[in-house]
Amino acid sequence: MVTKIQISEVGKRYEGRNPVEALSDVTLTVDDSEFVCLVGPSGCGKSTLLRMIMGLHRPSAGTVDVFADDPVLPPTAMVFQDYSIFPWKTVEQNVRFGFEGRRLPRAECDARVDKWLERLGLSQFRRAYPAALSGGMRQRVSIARALAVEPEVLLMDEPFAALDAQLRRVLQEELLALWQQDRRTVVFVTHSLEEAILLGDRIVVMSARPGRIIADIRVPFDRPRSPQIRTAPEFAELEGEIWAQLRDEVDRSLVGGAR
Amino acid sequence: MRASQISDRTTGTGDDGRRRWRVQPGQQERNPRAFARRRRLERRLLGVLVPVVLLVAWELCANAGLIDTRFFPAPSQIGSTAVDMIGNGILLTDLTVTVRVLLIGLVSGFVVGTVAGLLLGLSRIARAALEPLLSALYTIPKLAVLPLLLLIFGVGELPKVILVGLGVFFIAWISVLEAILDLPGAYGEAATAFDVRGWRRMRHVTLPAVLPQVLVGLRISVGNAVLIVVGVEFVSGDEGIGYRIWNSWSIFAADRMYVGIVVVALLGYLLSLLVQLLSRVCVPWAPSTAARRD
Repeated sequence: MVTKIQISEVGKRYEGRNPVEALSDVTLTVDDSEFVCLVGPSGCGKSTLLRMIMGLHRPSAGTVDVFADDPVLPPTAMVFQDYSIFPWKTVEQNVRFGFEGRRLPRAECDARVDKWLERLGLSQFRRAYPAALSGGMRQRVSIARALAVEPEVLLMDEPFAALDAQLRRVLQEELLALWQQDRRTVVFVTHSLEEAILLGDRIVVMSARPGRIIADIRVPFDRPRSPQIRTAPEFAELEGEIWAQLRDEVDRSLVGGAR
Repeated sequence: MRASQISDRTTGTGDDGRRRWRVQPGQQERNPRAFARRRRLERRLLGVLVPVVLLVAWELCANAGLIDTRFFPAPSQIGSTAVDMIGNGILLTDLTVTVRVLLIGLVSGFVVGTVAGLLLGLSRIARAALEPLLSALYTIPKLAVLPLLLLIFGVGELPKVILVGLGVFFIAWISVLEAILDLPGAYGEAATAFDVRGWRRMRHVTLPAVLPQVLVGLRISVGNAVLIVVGVEFVSGDEGIGYRIWNSWSIFAADRMYVGIVVVALLGYLLSLLVQLLSRVCVPWAPSTAARRD
C-alpha cells in the first residue's frame, strides 16, 4: 500500500487566557484510495485534524504530510458542513468556483462542471441560486464543487450533519456509489457510527479532549458494498463494539464543560 | 480562541519522488507568546507612528516653505495657539457651550427616538400611521429647518438643541424599528409559549434583543450630532467651537481654525470611545470583535 497522508506526532494547543489542549500526539497513516472515517465526541479535535490536512490550521507540534502524484496541483479539496457555498452564485457558478484557484483550459472546466453536475443530479438546477434549493441539494452542490476539481484527497467535515435523517441516508448511499465508481482517498469526519461503518474502510476513534487516537478499526465488509449491509447482524455488532469504546469518552467530554 | 487561517503549506519532494505538501508549526505555534507580543507591538506602534509621521512631515514642509503657512500653519504653531486659547479661557468657554448643546440634544433625541422606534416596532397601527411620514421627514436636511426653528424659538440654545435632537432622533428611531422587525421569530414564540407578556416580555426579550442594534445607532448618532452642532454654530450664535472655526476662517486666523478642528475631532473621538465602552458593559453576551481586529 502507498501512503497518501502521513500525520506524525501532531499536537494542537490554543493559547490564551485559558489554554486548551485540543490534540495530543496524534499519529495516523492513510493509504492511497482508502476511505477513513474519524469519529469522536464533540470538541475532540477531529475537525481540527481534518483542517490541518487541508492546510487551514497549523499544528502546534508535529507534521502533516500529503503526498501528491500530480507535480503541481494541490492534492486536497474539502466539503464543509455548512455555509460554504455562496448564495450570490448559481449552482453552476458555485461548482465552477473550485477552478478559480487552478489554471485549467476553459473547455476542460466546462466538461468537468457538466460531468459533476450530472453525476450529482444537479443538471436541471444549474441556473438556480442556493436559496431556492433544499438543504440536501445545497450539500450536493458543495460535494460537486469539491469533486469537480478531482482532488487526490477528498476531505469531508460532517457533510451530512445538518440534514434530516432521511436525506442523510439518501446522500450517504449516493456518496457510497460515487466513491465506489472512482476510488480516491477520503478522510471523513462524522458523529454517526452508522455512517462511518457504511462508508469507511477504516474507522479511527478519538478520545475526549485532548484528542488522541484510541482505536483504529478495519471495517470488515467487502467492496463494493450495498447499503443493505445496514441490516446485517455484523453491522450492529460492530456499531455496539465501537460505541462501547466511545461511550466513556462522550461522558468525559460532557463533564469537560464549555467548548 | 479563533485559529488563524493559513494556506502556507510548504511543498517538497517525498522519498519516492512524489510531491509532498506539508503543514507544520509556524512562528505563531512555536512561540505563541512572542508572536502575540509582536502583533500587539506592531499594532500599537503603527497606530501611533502613522499620525506622528504625518505631523512631522507637515511640520518639516511648513518650515521648509513647501506649503503656504497662511493656510497650513505648522503643527507647532497650531499647538502654541492652542495653549494661548486655553490660557485666556476662550477654548474652555467654547467647549462648554458646544458640549452642552451636544449632550442635551444627543440624549433627548436618542431617548425620544428609541421610544418612538419601540412604539412603531410593536404597534402595527402606529407603524401604518407614522412610518411614511417619518420616512419622508427623515430625508430633509436638518440644517434646512434651522431658519424655521430660529423663527419659532428665537436665537439661543434651544433651536440648536432641537436640531441636534432631530438628527439623532431619526437614527435612533430607524435602528430600533429595524431591530425589532428583524427579531428572530423564535424569541417571540418562546416568550408566548411561556406566557411571558407585556412589560416582562419587553424586559426579558425585546429590549435585550434590540440593545446591540440600539448601541450601533448611538454610535452613528454621536458622529451625526457633532456634525450638526458644528454646522449650526457656523451660522448662528457667537460662541462654541463651530463658531470659533468659522470666525477664525473669516478673519484669516488659520491657526485658530485648526485648533477648533482638532478639538472637534477629539470630542467626537472621545464620545465614540465612550459609546464603545458602554456597549461592552451593556452587551456582555456579544462576542468581542477585539480579537478579530488583530
